[in-house]
Amino acid sequence: MLSLRLARGSHPLVLLRRLLVACASAGVGFLLLSALGHASPEQLLWCAAPLAATVQFAVAVARTDPHAKPSPGLSSAGFGPAAAPAVAAVTTAVSCLLGSALALLFFLHLRGDLSGLPFDGAAAALLGAGGPLPVVGALTLLACVPALAAAASAASLRPRRTAAQGSAAAAARLRARREAADAAGTAVDVPHPGGAAGDDPPVPADLPWGTALATTGLALGAYAGSFAGAGDRAALKLPLPGGSGDAAPAVVASWALIAAGLILAGPGIVHLCGRLLCALRPGALRLLAGRVLQQEARRVGRPLGALCAVATGGVLCTLVWPDGDGARSLGPLTLLGAALVVFCALATVGMAALEAKRARTRTTTALLRLGASPRLLRRAALLRTAVLLAVFTPLAAALGELAALPLR
Amino acid sequence: MTAATTRTAPPDNDVLWARSLHYAHGGTPALAGVSLGVAQGEILAVTGPRGSGKTTLLKCLSGQLLPHQGEVWFNSGPVHTLSTGARERLRRDRFGWIGTRPELVPELTAWENVALPLLLAGETHRAARRRAVEWLERLDAGGIARCRPAALPQDQRQRVAIARALVAGPDVVFADEPTAPLRRAEGAQALRTLVAAARSHGMSVVLTGPADDAAVTGAADRTFPLVDGRRASGARAGAAQAAGYGDGGAGAGAAGRAGANGTAGAAENWEDPCSVSA
Repeated sequence: MLSLRLARGSHPLVLLRRLLVACASAGVGFLLLSALGHASPEQLLWCAAPLAATVQFAVAVARTDPHAKPSPGLSSAGFGPAAAPAVAAVTTAVSCLLGSALALLFFLHLRGDLSGLPFDGAAAALLGAGGPLPVVGALTLLACVPALAAAASAASLRPRRTAAQGSAAAAARLRARREAADAAGTAVDVPHPGGAAGDDPPVPADLPWGTALATTGLALGAYAGSFAGAGDRAALKLPLPGGSGDAAPAVVASWALIAAGLILAGPGIVHLCGRLLCALRPGALRLLAGRVLQQEARRVGRPLGALCAVATGGVLCTLVWPDGDGARSLGPLTLLGAALVVFCALATVGMAALEAKRARTRTTTALLRLGASPRLLRRAALLRTAVLLAVFTPLAAALGELAALPLR
Repeated sequence: MTAATTRTAPPDNDVLWARSLHYAHGGTPALAGVSLGVAQGEILAVTGPRGSGKTTLLKCLSGQLLPHQGEVWFNSGPVHTLSTGARERLRRDRFGWIGTRPELVPELTAWENVALPLLLAGETHRAARRRAVEWLERLDAGGIARCRPAALPQDQRQRVAIARALVAGPDVVFADEPTAPLRRAEGAQALRTLVAAARSHGMSVVLTGPADDAAVTGAADRTFPLVDGRRASGARAGAAQAAGYGDGGAGAGAAGRAGANGTAGAAENWEDPCSVSA
């Protein structure tokens, strides 16, 4: 009830974000039901991409929710950080359930199971009308998005040891060392959090793992492609969405590995972009842009990695899609899935940027108080965006080219 | 918003001067006709309980807020009629600010935080770094120059904030309860550091604190008690109490200014800057 009461009093933009989550959930629910209607495991497998994108988007929206971190008013009433994940989970589940219910209604209506309304049964053939729809299976599939999104939101917002708490402990240790050194009459070395680099914070440790995963994916794709090229036509093939051909499971697995590698390596790449910006005696603009990028690498890096993976998939599609006489239309379900993935990836990056901006509100106020002009802060944000685009766009294009090689 | 008036400029020896300031936060009055003047090199303590309008007064004086009524003059130039950009430049180039919390930029190291005002003013990286490190060493914080704020104890962060406020050589430093987040000994030390540095460089300081904080009132040349957005009656326009705080060189002039509780002998229509406008 508290979740609903809090939601009722939310800002319209917050409600709009939840509505978008409901729409995305409805789209995924519709795709899952279509796969069930056709009883097609391959189609169900391809639904994993929009499902993952929707869950990621729902988590990003939950993190930008005003009640993700309880306000002092709620804290005074006993609603502390421990209760926030539960509220986030319930709010996310309600949004997704609304979407799932809408998906079920639309699906049944377009399939022709609900009569008496316009467009009744308009897509009966596309949605596999005629065969029975297993009720338990449909409900299970429809519950997937709310359950996964709620669990992921709660896990993402669970109370954990913050950096500030960690640094407070480090400061206490440093103070104790200083006091001990004073008593002994010796000097104490002040630790530099930047390590050997000094002014630069350390690069996220996931970068090597992400790079290794992506390169493993590329190698696996090339290996599987060479076997396919050798004439092993009898091997198992997975049909690609939209009837654009088929691919060996190993090739599809290589794409998944590349995507996972990009998501894992995203924070490290963003961090290195920040380091690049701060290199060679920066002025205020480059210093602020670069250091903020380094600081926010973990927050915006993963969504950017996911968006880069989606862009890689886009490049891959344009390269392997048959053109000329063999060209076929994508089909409405494939289009819906692709649109969902692209929208969710873009919106998640937007939500991550919003979350980062919110987290920096106090710092921005301090900078303005120092006399930094809002124009300078806007230019720093533009510079960050430009650098990220300049790095991630060629990366997506190159990976798309390499991932398409096995299918050529 | 106050329009430019045709008043005569304030006395020449006041680096900062305000007349009949009114300000309300969403209908709740915070300042109700406050007037004051700050002389060159003077340490002025604005004291009062929470909610008395100390922070709002400092923000109006430093150009962060525009008073709803009243005037603010800096070096005989009006602040209240300046554009937003001009007030930003004024804050960056001529004023220093120390907040209740250190308010450092967490992404930057200590020396980068200190160098930020210089970099914002367009100074080269090398020169800004040199001056920032000099100031940190002057404040006994040279060893933490490459640490990030999160790795520093609160007193060290406040020291970095003081260095950041002083590094550009401002004319006036505003310190809004600078000792609030610190323990008593650390707060007194931070205050001594600030006052000594300001006196040795001839900067004026306007600091706020609770009325019963002996460290604040003791560090100041003059106190300006504030209650409910007005100057409290029976204010103690104390003599210079800077004993033990800095070298007192610049404080001598300030002391003379302090005893006057306003500046006599200015223009004909000059009002006592510390008087309360009803």
